[in-house]
Amino acid sequence: MQEIEQGSSLTHDAYLRLKKNKLAMLSLYLLSALLILAVLTPWIAPYSYEQQDLELGASPPAVAHWFGTDVLGRDQLTRVLYGSRISLAVGLVATFVALCIGVLYGAIAGFVGGRVDQVMMRLVDVLYALPFAIFIILLTVVFGRSILLLFLAIGAVEWLTMARIIRGQVLSLKQQEFIQAATAMGQTRWQILRKHLIPNAIGPIVIYTTLTIPSVILLESFLSFLGLGIQPPQSSWGSLISYGVETMEEYPWLLVIPGLTLSLTLFSLNFLGDGLRDALDPRTSKD
Amino acid sequence: MLSFILKRLLSSIPVIFMVVLITFILVRLAPGGPFSDERKVPPIVLENLNKRYHLDDPVYVQFFDYIGNVLQGDFGPSFKYANRSVSEIIYSGLPITVELGLYALLVAIVIGITSGVIAALRPNTWQDYVPMSFSMLGICLPSFVLGPLLILIFGIWVQWLPVSGWGDAPFDKVLPSFTLGAAYAAYMARLSRGGMLDVMSQDYIRTARAKGLPNWLVVVRHGLNSGLAPVVTFAGPAAAGLLSGSFVVESVFQIPGMGRFYLQAAFNRDYTMILGTTIVFSVLIVLFNLLADILMVWMNPRLRHARN
Repeated sequence: MQEIEQGSSLTHDAYLRLKKNKLAMLSLYLLSALLILAVLTPWIAPYSYEQQDLELGASPPAVAHWFGTDVLGRDQLTRVLYGSRISLAVGLVATFVALCIGVLYGAIAGFVGGRVDQVMMRLVDVLYALPFAIFIILLTVVFGRSILLLFLAIGAVEWLTMARIIRGQVLSLKQQEFIQAATAMGQTRWQILRKHLIPNAIGPIVIYTTLTIPSVILLESFLSFLGLGIQPPQSSWGSLISYGVETMEEYPWLLVIPGLTLSLTLFSLNFLGDGLRDALDPRTSKD
Repeated sequence: MLSFILKRLLSSIPVIFMVVLITFILVRLAPGGPFSDERKVPPIVLENLNKRYHLDDPVYVQFFDYIGNVLQGDFGPSFKYANRSVSEIIYSGLPITVELGLYALLVAIVIGITSGVIAALRPNTWQDYVPMSFSMLGICLPSFVLGPLLILIFGIWVQWLPVSGWGDAPFDKVLPSFTLGAAYAAYMARLSRGGMLDVMSQDYIRTARAKGLPNWLVVVRHGLNSGLAPVVTFAGPAAAGLLSGSFVVESVFQIPGMGRFYLQAAFNRDYTMILGTTIVFSVLIVLFNLLADILMVWMNPRLRHARN
């Protein structure tokens, strides 16, 4: 019980520090609102996803359609809401994939050490040198364009930095006395890794996860913008932007609104990540 | 120094080899050959096509044949453009992509480092806040949003700059270079600000000031050298990002560079074209990483001794 109490008080400290950072809190509120909207979309969207109004066609933002309508008379607000579901889902799931691979890989490399560590990190170095955007495009060519592949492919390329950070953490934690104590008490290496090393590295994990999500969302939008990511009838922010570009001369709001939504989300995630870093790890302040 | 460069050069060979191998395997794994879609081809014609492009050899023979040809600068025929070889397409597109990348890098370095250094010299004033807010904006506005927005504003509404093409009109390189460079300018501004802030509080800077050196000389002679180290570290990844960013910028501004050919190849399943462009892109990125490493060691004597 004591352990839990102490843990919660540390988290509470961090929370108090985070609360002082107004930009980070604003970002947190914005993101929570966005997440709730995205989850509730099927119930709160003003129109159904397929509904078209061909007679109306493209119309600027108005009372009936807050964000206007596209060339087929589809409500842009509804499309942006449904798009946010996909963009956020890809962001979260792919980051989770990256998190799992990265944490496990980094922890093992750092913990086992020696030659194993050298080989594992050399592999990471090699992978770093590869052009990833190109490889993901290649994967979409080979395996077809599916959302599942997108999750895996993006997750599979975003784990490298995570692995490096966790390895560094584990390496420095490993030297500390409580690990020696745990070894002396007869805990197995796996237990030490799971019970002591990973929980103690949780701060950097949280920080870096928050900073990975925006880069994953960006990567997905990038692919969808190029037509290689999410395929119609589904659409993410990236594909909405790419439709918007086609008709931006006549109907600029079709580009501006999804573009702004995407940018605002990335903005919030980056600010929240920075704020979390300051709150959870006061030693490394921002600049 | 020389032995370090040689060692790094040698160690990039296996990386490039792995890229070629992985790409080759992936492309071969792809379902459906280049001739399998669109119209049905009679079996005998298909057989002849396969023979002409050596697709009936065992895969490993194809692989080593391919390596041999690539080493001689021959990337084979394009599967989609019957009359053009991949090498021809690469030679026509690559200079444009590299030129675009260099301009973007120039934009990033000039705008990014200048504003970062200025911000670091006057921390927590408007000279700090204004460029840093813009840099946050630059990071969060992806090129596929920024590019169209710039086209909309400068090309269509006020009509100051041409919106597409490359080298046809006098100023048509401005918008693409800026679009591609903006995000990197933003990163460089943040990195150089952080680096300069660290350095300017060091003792040796105070010593330089104490001996009566004018402020700008302190900054130029003593500050920049180590203050910009984080920026140099970033140069390698930046180059990689600039090259893949060229996909978006080239398709938004309709520039006939490598990025556009790569995308077309991806849509068309043009095997040889994908292989060739991937290899060229990877070699470029590996070379840029190498350059960044060398530059870093050259700028920081401590690293030089550690590595030798």
